[in-house]
Amino acid sequence: MPQQVTRLGIAFAVLAIVFVAVRQTLVPDTFGDAGHYRAAAVDSIEAQPLKYAGHEACTMCHRPIADKRSASNHSGVSCEVCHGPAAEHVAAPGNVRPRAPRERGFCPLCHGYNASRPSGFPQIDPVAHNPTVPCMTCHDPHAPEPPVIPGECRACHGQIASTKAVSHHAVLPCLTCHDAPEEHKATPRAVRPGKPSSRDFCGGCHAEGADSPPHIPGVDMATHGEDYLCWQCHYPHHPEAE
Amino acid sequence: MQGYIYPNEFELRWGLLIVLYPYLTGLVAGAFILASLARVFNVKEVEPTYRLALLTALAFLIVAPLPLVAHLGHPERSYEIFLTPNRKSAMAMFGFVYAWYLMVVLLLEIWFDYRRDLVLTAREATGPRKWFYYTLTLGATDLSDRALQFDDRVGRWITIIGIPSAFLLHGYVGFIFGSVKANPWWSSVLMPVVFLFSAIVSGIALVMIIYLVATLFRSKKVDMGCADKLASFLFYAIVVDFSLEMLDFIHRLYEAEESIEILSQLIEGRLFVSLIVLQIVLGTLVPLISLGVVSPALSKRSIARIPAEVRRLIYLGCAILVQIGIFSIRWNVVIGGQLFSKSLRGLTAYKAELLGLEGLLVAGVLLVLPFLVLGVLVKILPPWPDTELPASPEA
Ligand code: HEC
Ligand code: HEC
Ligand code: HEC
Ligand code: HEC
Ligand code: HEC
Ligand code: HEC
Ligand code: HEC
Ligand code: HEC
Repeated sequence: MPQQVTRLGIAFAVLAIVFVAVRQTLVPDTFGDAGHYRAAAVDSIEAQPLKYAGHEACTMCHRPIADKRSASNHSGVSCEVCHGPAAEHVAAPGNVRPRAPRERGFCPLCHGYNASRPSGFPQIDPVAHNPTVPCMTCHDPHAPEPPVIPGECRACHGQIASTKAVSHHAVLPCLTCHDAPEEHKATPRAVRPGKPSSRDFCGGCHAEGADSPPHIPGVDMATHGEDYLCWQCHYPHHPEAE
Repeated sequence: MQGYIYPNEFELRWGLLIVLYPYLTGLVAGAFILASLARVFNVKEVEPTYRLALLTALAFLIVAPLPLVAHLGHPERSYEIFLTPNRKSAMAMFGFVYAWYLMVVLLLEIWFDYRRDLVLTAREATGPRKWFYYTLTLGATDLSDRALQFDDRVGRWITIIGIPSAFLLHGYVGFIFGSVKANPWWSSVLMPVVFLFSAIVSGIALVMIIYLVATLFRSKKVDMGCADKLASFLFYAIVVDFSLEMLDFIHRLYEAEESIEILSQLIEGRLFVSLIVLQIVLGTLVPLISLGVVSPALSKRSIARIPAEVRRLIYLGCAILVQIGIFSIRWNVVIGGQLFSKSLRGLTAYKAELLGLEGLLVAGVLLVLPFLVLGVLVKILPPWPDTELPASPEA
């Protein structure tokens, strides 16, 4: 066997042994037991101290507030979302007091206007909505209500309203297309407004020969868009003809 | 920013360093392919650059993973990809492709090729130098004819294994991009092939630059036969590379998927300078035409007869333009692929920072570093064919 081969063989063997040795010492014992990670990581995470107590823990001592919240618009918002982790407070209520977020900047984290929030979610513009006065002056954080019923659809459907405002349909009031009873504004989920359901509805203004002002473009209802509903192609709050 | 983009597309995740990484690995693969021309395909003219090409490949290979490591941001954990290999991750498997290429291909080939020189230098030298070179020989000091013949045979075989390995090394980088199916600018089966040929182009050009500049500094005469041959191969490689790229381009135009509109906006706007001007006109067409006219690539006696000194300068100029062009290709792939929104309705912009881990400064250092490494390698293992070897005692 040539000398080179033996020498290289030794060199590679040494490398391989070093590699195996390093692997033996550095790879954690439980690596790969349950997947491509250290299985014992689950235990170390489990061993971390608890920070949150959960809203049921609060009920024992703060029953009036808990009951009030459960019946309110904030029934889905847990105590510690606003008060921060409170496990230490539960263990020693006299020593550790959770923070109460009284500043105006806090509530808009959820209620500030943001186009990505679902339609109907109560949103306000924190700059314009009763500036400088703390939110708690008018809204009880544990049972929030609008002190008066909002007058405009924009209050809860801001995204739709501002989209429509810059569209070809800007001049059409919401009520042209939706018969929204007043009660919808007070209890929006219980009383739902109607929505257009047929092609003929749009045709009322857009059919060729319809009884509508001449500047409104008309289409041949028999052929245009075939059997599809108009809003499968045109967004009704921002119709485009492209 | 222009049009509609999603919030998470505003900032580019892959910046300058990720541009650098395919550029550097491309140079490695290209330089190695050039070396294999001399070794396996017996192109005698390019022999003077054989060792230089090997050392260049090694120097750039050593630096190639650094941009990745810097980008990922935890250099101290990088070795873990070898300890706990994730076989489902194409990116993680790169570690093994890299290790194979470094240990089994490049280092071995260089070792077999230089063994005789190492042994002779070790015999000649004194003190620590002697021990250093002796260690490099690994104690294999047999210089009999049989042993030397063995070196040569093994070297050839390693090169033969090395060619597909070099293809793998760089084709793999193209594969990573080509397999991102959500990105219409990247997703293409041609990607690995295009990457490979652009790698060959850049590697030949790089070795040519280093060869021409180094001979100048050593005040030696440039072997024009070698330079002409390099220029011809550069020409052929550019032809293949450019055809493949055009094929990809025409294919996209003909398919005209829904992304075609935003991609044409991308090319006409954001990428105009780097794609049309730098990559295609300066980086491809100008070198292609100049080399076609000046080098003996098309006919034995080149179309325009030009004195050797001027020809050399033209070659050097072309090679530098090619480097700029190939760097632009990497830029256009990596940055270009992140400039348009997945909504296909908007474009964002990329602005490189100066300082910071992913900034221009670090990128500059990483570009210079391979040349420093090469300088050290050349000191230890002189690649010049005209270097005087200490007379061997047997002779
Ligand atoms: C063991 C009984 C007990 C439990 C359980 C408990 N608290 Fe309290 N909490 C108290 C007492 C007592 C006080 C009044 C402390 C004082 O005034 O010094 C208090 C005060 C508070 C305050 C007022 C702090 C302030 O600055 O005015 C908040 C907020 C509060 N608790 C939140 C919670 C939340 C949230 C939970 C559930 C995770 C909870 N508590 C569970 C006993 C309890
Ligand atoms: C939407 C955020 C929010 C939620 C959810 C919330 N709180 Fe509060 N809580 C506040 C704010 C703000 C104050 C301060 C009110 C003030 O100063 O008028 C407060 C005050 C308190 C206080 C002390 C003052 C008082 O009214 O007696 C207690 C105790 C308290 N909360 C307990 C709870 C418990 C228990 C829950 C869960 C059942 C809960 N809170 C859920 C925001 C919230
Ligand atoms: C974690 C998010 C969250 C935070 C923080 C929060 N809220 Fe709410 N709020 C809600 C949700 C969810 C509703 C119920 C919306 C619904 O019925 O669709 C709601 C409902 C309301 C309503 C009733 C609006 C209506 O027209 O029905 C008011 C008023 C209100 N919150 C005020 C506040 C105030 C004031 C604060 C700050 C103390 C606050 N909210 C903090 C999530 C939050
Ligand atoms: C001066 C009293 C006052 C203050 C302070 C105030 N609001 Fe209101 N808020 C109202 C009234 C009145 C309405 C109902 C009419 C309307 O929409 O303006 C309302 C409505 C709301 C609604 C329901 C959505 C809607 O438009 O119907 C939300 C959510 C709300 N407020 C959040 C806040 C938040 C958050 C703050 C603190 C940043 C705050 N409010 C401060 C008086 C107040
Ligand atoms: C107090 C807030 C509020 C006001 C004011 C309000 N809405 Fe709503 N609206 C809602 C909520 C909440 C929903 C339910 C959203 C959901 O279920 O996703 C809703 C749903 C709707 C729907 C969809 C019904 C469906 O079945 O899909 C229409 C249409 C609508 N509102 C129209 C209007 C019109 C028109 C006005 C003005 C006259 C108006 N709303 C005023 C809160 C409001
Ligand atoms: C040109 C007629 C038209 C006008 C004007 C109009 N809508 Fe609509 N709206 C529709 C139609 C049609 C649908 C049903 C769309 C669907 O089912 O996909 C709808 C659906 C809705 C929905 C439920 C679906 C959703 O997008 O959340 C809400 C809420 C709504 N409209 C609110 C409004 C409000 C608020 C206004 C006034 C600012 C308004 N609309 C003005 C035609 C109209
Ligand atoms: C009350 C009358 C009325 C109704 C009902 C109505 N529209 Fe319109 N529509 C208009 C007016 C007014 C314009 C604006 C014409 C102009 O540009 O001057 C318009 C414009 C349009 C345009 C053209 C936009 C463009 O780019 O030129 C489309 C598309 C459209 N509407 C679709 C619809 C659809 C779909 C419906 C049914 C959901 C509908 N419209 C219901 C009055 C109406
Ligand atoms: C299959 C998709 C589709 C459907 C369904 C559809 N449209 Fe259109 N609509 C278009 C397209 C595309 C255009 C623009 C090209 C054109 O003018 O044909 C357009 C254009 C229009 C225009 C503008 C015409 C002009 O002259 O500017 C109006 C108004 C319109 N549509 C109303 C309607 C109404 C009302 C309905 C329901 C009866 C409807 N569309 C259904 C696709 C559709």
